[in-house]
Amino acid sequence: MPGMTITEKIIARHSGRKRVVPGELVWVNIHTVMTMDYLGAQTFAKLHELGVQDVFDRDRVICVSDHLVPPPNEKFATMLNEWRRVVREHHITHFYDLGNQGIAHQIMVEKGHVLPGTISIGTDSHANTYGAVGALGNAVGVTDAAVAMAIGKCWLRVPESVKFIVRGHWHPYVMAKDLSLYVMGMMHWNGHLIYKAIEYTGEAISQLGMAGRMTLCNMTVDLGAKNGIIAPDAVTRKYLRSRTKEKYVSLQSDPDAQYEQVYEIDLNKVGPTVARPHRLDDVVPVEEVEGTPFNKAFVGTCTNGRVEDLEIMARILKGRRIHPDVNMLIVPASQTVYLEAMKKGYLATLIEAGAAIDTPSCAACAGIHTGVAGDGDIILSAGNRNMQGRMGSKKAEIYLTSPAVVAASALYGKITDPRKLSS
Amino acid sequence: MKITGKCWVAPGYVMAYNIITQPFWTSPIDPKENARWVMAGVAEEFNRENGFASQGYTFIVAGHNFAGGGKSIEHVITGLMGAGIRAVFADSFSRLQFRNAINYGLPFITCKDMAKGCQTGDLLEWDTDTGLIHNLTNGNTFQSVPVAPFVAEVAKAGGLMNFIKKRIAEGTIGDLR
Ligand code: SF4
Repeated sequence: MPGMTITEKIIARHSGRKRVVPGELVWVNIHTVMTMDYLGAQTFAKLHELGVQDVFDRDRVICVSDHLVPPPNEKFATMLNEWRRVVREHHITHFYDLGNQGIAHQIMVEKGHVLPGTISIGTDSHANTYGAVGALGNAVGVTDAAVAMAIGKCWLRVPESVKFIVRGHWHPYVMAKDLSLYVMGMMHWNGHLIYKAIEYTGEAISQLGMAGRMTLCNMTVDLGAKNGIIAPDAVTRKYLRSRTKEKYVSLQSDPDAQYEQVYEIDLNKVGPTVARPHRLDDVVPVEEVEGTPFNKAFVGTCTNGRVEDLEIMARILKGRRIHPDVNMLIVPASQTVYLEAMKKGYLATLIEAGAAIDTPSCAACAGIHTGVAGDGDIILSAGNRNMQGRMGSKKAEIYLTSPAVVAASALYGKITDPRKLSS
Repeated sequence: MKITGKCWVAPGYVMAYNIITQPFWTSPIDPKENARWVMAGVAEEFNRENGFASQGYTFIVAGHNFAGGGKSIEHVITGLMGAGIRAVFADSFSRLQFRNAINYGLPFITCKDMAKGCQTGDLLEWDTDTGLIHNLTNGNTFQSVPVAPFVAEVAKAGGLMNFIKKRIAEGTIGDLR
């Protein structure tokens, strides 16, 4: 009998089976369920519709305010009030509200609510991020989340696995985001990766810190995958040491596990990468769009709002001033990130360079909060989606890239290759 | 059972957030309500109240990654149901909306290359038992991928909510595996 991939092992373990095979539909036990301000009230309403008043475990339903805080208008303020009422009514142990907030996926990993070898779901698509610690992270709708809140279980289809082996070393200005976009350009949105489990391995992945791993797994949802996962190693264990007291197992794929496809990527071929407006898979090396003017720069989101992202930007912008025609908005992914970046001096450097910092939230990422796009805006963003209208106006254009490219480009008001900056 | 009706052939890259556009993401989940503006962002012709729902389509025929782009909102499914859609046939579906469709009992049926053999307005006949789809307008036939038993069970119960409610009431919820 062939071996199993890490994703298959996790599903087998939590569905009470010895083994599972791709295509099977099974019910699995859920470690944590995440819901947030935007859809949370609907999720709890569905829970009641099931005839259930209490969640299966108050410690394992994680509630976060991220899309709507602080409310920019009356509608959101009212939604938030209802949300808070509902969360309190259910005596939820872990409620991350304004003051203690962050983007839900950041919170889930940063606060130790996802663990290697377990399954966590959330009512937001980028729940794939949890694969960074070797967990199976999955996005679901409010119905699935309500069912899981009621019974601690969720149905899953066992996915086929696809492996990306990444070799080589990281150039100082090449980031996990560039690799994500590179894979996007390589695979396209043509169905190859839909419903698949994407496993990133190889020496380049071992060298990657948790922030980069989160970026990589985060964007697997944009590749259409079911989940993205990186097997836990020393980096993972070190990261979790201060974040959880719970025991976990460090599952790994068997050497003879079955993959639908295996791709090898040589990191030496991956440079700073850009997705052009409207299509995530319209990806080019930065050289091809160098010199493209833009008027807004945005760094934040569950993809690139972490300390390491702010650090590289601070390194690039230290002692320099961004171009006067560029509006630059930076939004740390959580209060913890915000504070750490402040203590390390990155925020001061960024402010001195002419960037504006906003309190942690999803901000303009989905076009509903701080910093939305207007007609004619050309935005250089380190977010995750660039579809028409994503950040607001349909008459805006979004280029997606890494925080390093955003920082270097902001100095000139034109897309710039950070490797060419004189230090 | 056989279901017959008119189909709409979708353009490539139909995204969930264009099926239900941003102003309606926080609307209550309600088929009638969600159907009013369903597809508003997909084509200009549907960008008016009941623009899509009033066309009388029973089926949607699409290419790859139908309802993709990663929005988890269930209004996409209820909007289509409210507009009278009985099944969507596509080369592939986005995973999130595929789940939602199963949970609401709207058949999302995988069927290769159907968009190449159908035009908007063609009359289709779908045999839900055999998975065979017959284009009555041009004579083409297509064999779809069979639906998993669990999916059929949920559909029969009238969606996941009813399926779970029934199990809780019967005391059989612990048997789910
Ligand atoms: S930052 Fe953007 S992609 Fe991430 S959860 Fe918020 S809105 Fe979604």
